[in-house]
Amino acid sequence: MDQLAHISPIYTALFTVVAPFIAFLYQAIAGKRDQSGIISLIGIIFSFIFGGLTWLAIWNNPIVSAQINWFTIGASTFKVGILLNNLNVLMLFLVPTVALPVHIYSRAYMKGDSGIHRYWMYLSLFCFAMLGLVVMDSLLLMYIFWELVGFASYLLIGFWFTRETAVQANKKAFIVNRIGDLGFLIGLAIIFTQFKTLNLVDLFGEGGLIYQSTIASGQWVSPVNSMDQIWLTIAGLAFFLAAMAKSAQFPLHVWLPDAMEGPTSVSSLIHAATMVAAGVFLLATVFPLFNESALLFIAIIGTITAASAAYFALGQYDIKRILAFSTISQLGFMMVGIGIGTWDAALFHLVTHAFFKCLLFLSAGAIIHEMAHLKTHSHLDFDPQDLRNMGGLKKYMPKTFILMSVASLALAGFPLTSGYLSKDSIIISSFEWALSKGDLYLIIPISLITVSILTAFYIGRLIFKAFFGDFRMLAQVKDKLHGTALHEAPNTMLIPMFILGICCLFPLFSLNPVSYHDSWLMDGLLLDEYTFAPSHSAHLIIPLILLIGSVISWTIGWKWYVQNKYPLNASSFALKASFNQGYINELYQWIFVSGTLKLAQFCYWFDRFVVDALIAFVQFIVLSLSQLSVWIDKYIVDGFVNAVASVAYWTGNQVRLVQNGKLQTTLYSVFLFVLLGLIYLIFF
Amino acid sequence: MITLTHFLVVSACIFCIGLYTVLSKKNAIMILVGIELMINAAILNFVAFGKYDKVSYGGQIFALFAIVLAAAAVAVGLALVLNVYRHYKTINPDEINELKDK
Amino acid sequence: METTLFYAFATLAIGSALLLVNLKNIARALFLFFIVLFAMAGLYLFALADFVAITQIMVYVGGVLILMLFAFMLSNKELLKDLQDSSGSFLSMPRWQAVILAVGFLVLMIFGIAEWHQSIPTWIQQAKENNTEIIPTDNNIQQIGLRFMTFYVLPFEVISVFLMMALIGASHLSRKERNR
Repeated sequence: MDQLAHISPIYTALFTVVAPFIAFLYQAIAGKRDQSGIISLIGIIFSFIFGGLTWLAIWNNPIVSAQINWFTIGASTFKVGILLNNLNVLMLFLVPTVALPVHIYSRAYMKGDSGIHRYWMYLSLFCFAMLGLVVMDSLLLMYIFWELVGFASYLLIGFWFTRETAVQANKKAFIVNRIGDLGFLIGLAIIFTQFKTLNLVDLFGEGGLIYQSTIASGQWVSPVNSMDQIWLTIAGLAFFLAAMAKSAQFPLHVWLPDAMEGPTSVSSLIHAATMVAAGVFLLATVFPLFNESALLFIAIIGTITAASAAYFALGQYDIKRILAFSTISQLGFMMVGIGIGTWDAALFHLVTHAFFKCLLFLSAGAIIHEMAHLKTHSHLDFDPQDLRNMGGLKKYMPKTFILMSVASLALAGFPLTSGYLSKDSIIISSFEWALSKGDLYLIIPISLITVSILTAFYIGRLIFKAFFGDFRMLAQVKDKLHGTALHEAPNTMLIPMFILGICCLFPLFSLNPVSYHDSWLMDGLLLDEYTFAPSHSAHLIIPLILLIGSVISWTIGWKWYVQNKYPLNASSFALKASFNQGYINELYQWIFVSGTLKLAQFCYWFDRFVVDALIAFVQFIVLSLSQLSVWIDKYIVDGFVNAVASVAYWTGNQVRLVQNGKLQTTLYSVFLFVLLGLIYLIFF
Repeated sequence: MITLTHFLVVSACIFCIGLYTVLSKKNAIMILVGIELMINAAILNFVAFGKYDKVSYGGQIFALFAIVLAAAAVAVGLALVLNVYRHYKTINPDEINELKDK
Repeated sequence: METTLFYAFATLAIGSALLLVNLKNIARALFLFFIVLFAMAGLYLFALADFVAITQIMVYVGGVLILMLFAFMLSNKELLKDLQDSSGSFLSMPRWQAVILAVGFLVLMIFGIAEWHQSIPTWIQQAKENNTEIIPTDNNIQQIGLRFMTFYVLPFEVISVFLMMALIGASHLSRKERNR
């Protein structure tokens, strides 16, 4: 152990990143021959161990970084390296911690799937990419891993690629992510132009170039360059665009609900805990770059995202869709946290959200697994993910019920859970921020409080509809099978869920269940002080409001869903709009997809009737010219030659007549030449 | 006043007429007539110039010789025409245009 | 008076010659030739060459012309025709190439004569100055005879022999062929 402690954190970090990559290579080479996924599991265990060691070495200790030369162009040398500060090692440890239970869970969940070897390969690739993303010290390398993470997500969403919906979903995810990548690239370009370096230490470290830059007389002045100050806002917005796509902010959130086509374990790891958090991580890394307007924009978009996603979650029937919208909504919260300047609160919420959302997805996966099992056994045809087919599962799957409830309480921000600490940190901070800014800004904290209450409501709806009441499929199932068909989830699934459940409770994060300021995580992320004054009354009132609101919403939910006293019209426009995700997908289809197709058709028409017509016209001209030249050649050039020949022939014919053998002709020619000679002699 | 020029002009005219006759007539005898006219024109020329030669009477003497030669030419010419007629059965010079006998 | 006569004789000669070439009937052409010869003899007289004139009449008219007439009359009817043209008119159209040539020669000669008229040769002028022109009161025959026997005796003999040869040759040429 001593020796382990003395290993340089650089090497431990490197090994954390590389272990899943080795597992990926092995699985790629082994292919179908190894379907157990043991190597991937071992890889992620190593990542967990070495991630933990790195975290222990770096947390609240001096920053460590190392670089090597990558390549040289002209006079400038590009270096690659690893940066390890609090933020990086936190993420470096978080990812394997969440990925390890998912790997164990997957062994049971994906058992028997024909493509499971590909699954292990892609999962390891994703872990490698995510771990690489969080430790790189250059924005360019971060971008490379950012894209790789998107690619792994694409592969995993479309894992069951024989399904049409899965193929459409992964295409959509990739395309929407590309929009974000464009933003990342624009941000990279602006930063490189302004600072001539992409190194995180040089830019954002102590006394970095960002801190040396000023805004003076309308110009953004840095030690090496200066440009108009609008570019500072644009750079900030460009990076936020990248985060918008990756972390599914409004309006680029449309890929995340469709990404639920992938396996549930994938959804839990990627689309709940880690990849979608990469956007938040990026914003936290480049946080010094944002100016007032960019931050305000982030906060507004985050609020809109949180509100719209919560609204959409209310009308969904698919379990995974509800959880997907819940993810989007919580990501909106995190963005608001960044927008108001408290990125440590945002990261705190990211960490807690990773645990409870992962647990929620794994539990949902357990339910779906059992329902699908039931479907194959009873040869009935129903959607195993539809809430309307479930009910009363508390009887059959008690442990799953308990764990899912714990996670739901964390999501709703119930006291004594970790979610309570992180969510309240954001809402209280936003309230303090709005107070310091002006009264109009109070819209944001009020919206967040409303969204929190809605969150409690929809997650309560999910729990009530799934676990309470009677099993709605019971009548149909009983005919086909004997005895109870639903079992509890297997232990291989339950144990990872249990571990995650423990992490949803407060003791992991703070010994004080009430105040978030005491959390070791917030302390470690070392934000000196906020730009706004704390308000003690807010610290008391807001948690109280949230608690009361959640209880009321659960009471209402109990009445509606368990006791089936549902007063609202199920097909009212508001509910229909919520179910159809606000018709945003239809809008995008109409604008972008149809528009592009129409453009393509227009280009085809243009090519056929204008370009080809032009070509045909030119061809016609050339043909005519060639025919003209044929005519000229035949009648003028050849004609000239023929005329010369004819003249020669005729002349010869005429001259031939002299030689007719007649006496008088000879005499005539003699006298003629004599005459001509005489004329010549006399006159010339 | 009859100058030398008058004689020369007349001589030229007769000569050209004789030339025309030689070149354009389709009868051998008319060709001979043409030749005769030309010789006559030449003799007139001689005589005109001979007027100024009292010393040796060259012009007139030569004119006499020319007359004799003309006569001889006609005689032989007629004999030839006769022979040609016997061979070719025609005295149209246009039809006697090949070296071989008909 | 002299001039008028000269022009008359000249016109007669030239006119007859012109007519001569345009007639299709050869017999009539030959008779016109007869008139030409006579007119030429008259012209010789104007050049004070009386002996040449007489000789012309005697030899040319009396000899050559009669010869031609005999040769022509005593031959076939086909020889009478001058197949110059297919037209049946009294006068035949002249052939234009020969006309051009003849006219060209005429123009050239007249031009030469007109130019020559400016510069008369020295021997003629000397003859005029030295009075060695032939005057009408000269006895031409006596002088010609003298010259013949003294100055020009060789050509005289030669031409005699030549004439004899020509006539012998001509008669030999026109002998009757044996029947083949």
